[in-house]
Amino acid sequence: MGLFTASRSSATPKPLTVFQRRWAKFKSLKRGYYSLIIISTAYAISWLLPLLVNDTALIVRYEGSYYFPAVAELFGQSYFHAGKEFGMTGVESEADYRLLQNQWEQASGDNFVVMPFYPFGPIEDITQSGNTQFLAPFEADGAGNTRWFGTDDRGRDVFARMAYGFNVSLSFALALVILEYLIGIPLGMISGFRGGWFDIILQRFIEIWSTLPILFVIIIVVSLFTPSFILLLGLLSITSWIGITWLIRAEFLREKSKDYVAAAVSIGVTTRTILLKHILPNSLVPIITYFPFAIVAGIGALVSLDFLGFGLPPPTPSWGEMVSLGLKYITTNKWWLVAAPLGAMFVTLLLTVFVGESVREAFDPKVFSRLR
Amino acid sequence: MLTYFLRRLLLAIPTFIGCTIVVFSIVQLSPGGPLEQQKRQLQAAAAEGGTVGGIASEGETSIPPKALEELKRYYGFDKPIYERYLIWLGVWPREVDQYSVELDQPRRVTGGKSVLVRREGSGLVVYDADRPTERAAEWLVADLKHEDGTPNRYVYKSQFAGILTGDFGNSYQYREPVIDLIKERLPVSIQFGVIGFIIAYVVALYLGIQKALEHRSRFDIITSVGMFALNSMPGWAIGAILLMFLATDSFLPLLPLGGIQSSEYDMLEIGSKIADRAVHFILPIVAYSVTGIASLAMLMKNSLLENLGHDYVRTAFAKGLREKRVIWMHAMRNSIIPLAARAGFVITVFLAGSFLIEYVFNIEGIGKLSYMAILSRDYPIVFAFTVIGVTTLLLGNIISDFILAVVDPRIRFK
Repeated sequence: MGLFTASRSSATPKPLTVFQRRWAKFKSLKRGYYSLIIISTAYAISWLLPLLVNDTALIVRYEGSYYFPAVAELFGQSYFHAGKEFGMTGVESEADYRLLQNQWEQASGDNFVVMPFYPFGPIEDITQSGNTQFLAPFEADGAGNTRWFGTDDRGRDVFARMAYGFNVSLSFALALVILEYLIGIPLGMISGFRGGWFDIILQRFIEIWSTLPILFVIIIVVSLFTPSFILLLGLLSITSWIGITWLIRAEFLREKSKDYVAAAVSIGVTTRTILLKHILPNSLVPIITYFPFAIVAGIGALVSLDFLGFGLPPPTPSWGEMVSLGLKYITTNKWWLVAAPLGAMFVTLLLTVFVGESVREAFDPKVFSRLR
Repeated sequence: MLTYFLRRLLLAIPTFIGCTIVVFSIVQLSPGGPLEQQKRQLQAAAAEGGTVGGIASEGETSIPPKALEELKRYYGFDKPIYERYLIWLGVWPREVDQYSVELDQPRRVTGGKSVLVRREGSGLVVYDADRPTERAAEWLVADLKHEDGTPNRYVYKSQFAGILTGDFGNSYQYREPVIDLIKERLPVSIQFGVIGFIIAYVVALYLGIQKALEHRSRFDIITSVGMFALNSMPGWAIGAILLMFLATDSFLPLLPLGGIQSSEYDMLEIGSKIADRAVHFILPIVAYSVTGIASLAMLMKNSLLENLGHDYVRTAFAKGLREKRVIWMHAMRNSIIPLAARAGFVITVFLAGSFLIEYVFNIEGIGKLSYMAILSRDYPIVFAFTVIGVTTLLLGNIISDFILAVVDPRIRFK
């Protein structure tokens, strides 16, 4: 008997939860699954960019002691070493590691510099050695180094700026979406569940609020304060919470009339618990499926603002600023200035949308019949 | 039904007022307005005048208080904000044709007339200076005090002129009625709006139907990938890429770099004129319509697919109707409803004009006008666009519902 039950329990595996089933379905949608893997890996790696794409050295060995400026930069520590610390007489500004590397290689002493894989930073400009204006992609600069995507009008490396711009854009979009979820979900929950005057007032408020000339507000605020990551985040979230609020409101409006909510109410569960423990898990579908598309919108908004010059302050590497620079020089055929940032944006958004479409399909399986 | 839409229209009024109050307050209370810009200009001019040996004198250069008051009066900032709002709306009298006056001294005013202000009892009365016994009825007089205590008197006419009377005021920057500025740029924006709208719907309908009929085919998958890609990019960015590849010498210099016509447009014959316009319109139209096409086509596809799965389609097939007839007469009739509902927003395309696209393609359209107005704090234009935007949005909603009710007899609004 005991044997029988044991074999039975091992023969029938525990049924999958709803989310496990959805995840399995999502994994079977290869396009979205691989897109998710690619974009999350790329984003994770982008946090290590100071070690990969940088004009600051990974390792410096000078007169017997070791320095790790790029690692210090990665962890937000002070990584400044004046040129004179490494024997560049009279150089008060930051050491030019690429120059040092060349000099010490020729001197063949004990001193050496190990540069990151792509030894150019996003904000170094023409004042640093080897940086030449308007290099075409794969053209060699003054010091004989190849620039993958060329340089811009100030001799800044386009590939480095593009790579850092990826991190900036995605971080901004993620932060913006989290912020709008934090505002929008509670509002939508209360509005949908409680209804009544709160719902009516919120609906009217949203109607009025959504006509706010947000660009005007941003331009005014940016002209008063120095724009920063946080400030722009706050400004864009003034109106961006509206979309998710509608979704959650509709979801809660529908769910609250279902039997399980009535059951919970009748046994005296508190409203708070009903909202968070009972209805919210059943309303996760719109929250999750909306997420990738909100990311797409967030990136688009940041790039548009940067393009107009009301975004992140220079010299932050941002795609929008790069495009506007490229359009400025459009008549002189500096095509890589436009193609690099927009190409990166295109790939990023495309991958995100692929993830989004697959998530939607996995979470909301609408079975369509086929004509043929 | 009629009462439903009448009620919707009436409900739009408080929303309209709410929107305009919010925007008006933000704009009027935000620093850096026209008054401060004028002040800064005057200060700069004064500082330049007081420059000694190339070194500007330090410290605040003060503007004469009287000049400041006059500026305030000119921009209407001498009134409290609620009064400014009501004046702008057109339900509070506006003071126009203001002239400073001294007591008992004739003052020339508009219309070749002169007026004379006399003290009578406790108040001031305006007389026609040419016939000193007759009162100049249409002129009113304000008796205020300057900050230094000296009297500040001026005559003015009172009239209701605001957005409700169709008066959007004059642009600060162009010194022209805002209505004229908008009218000037309207044709361009309407051309782009209408052509883009038609192309978006035609292409989206075709794509959507084909994709639904060939669901999961290679054509469906490829167009889906393409549409996801295009749908995620902002229209202006797609425009910038196309401009780079198709309009510059870098790759294929086929199309013009921007603008809506070549410089020699006026000298061309009618045929070449049309061709010239068309060549200039290709890229902006693509940028305008690309985003809409993707979402419309997906809507069309999903809607048609859903209907094809319904029992009535199966029934139609079962009773031996031809496939074309079932698709076009039965399924399409129902699938088109969600698309038709969106058509209400056609009125927004006339006045929308994405300024980002106009910026990229250097088109002098409505969008660029509003963007420039924001940059230069040209409040009357900013307000005019707020009014237009809010109105088209509210009306677009109502019209959409109306179209929905017309094309779908099952829908009954109460």
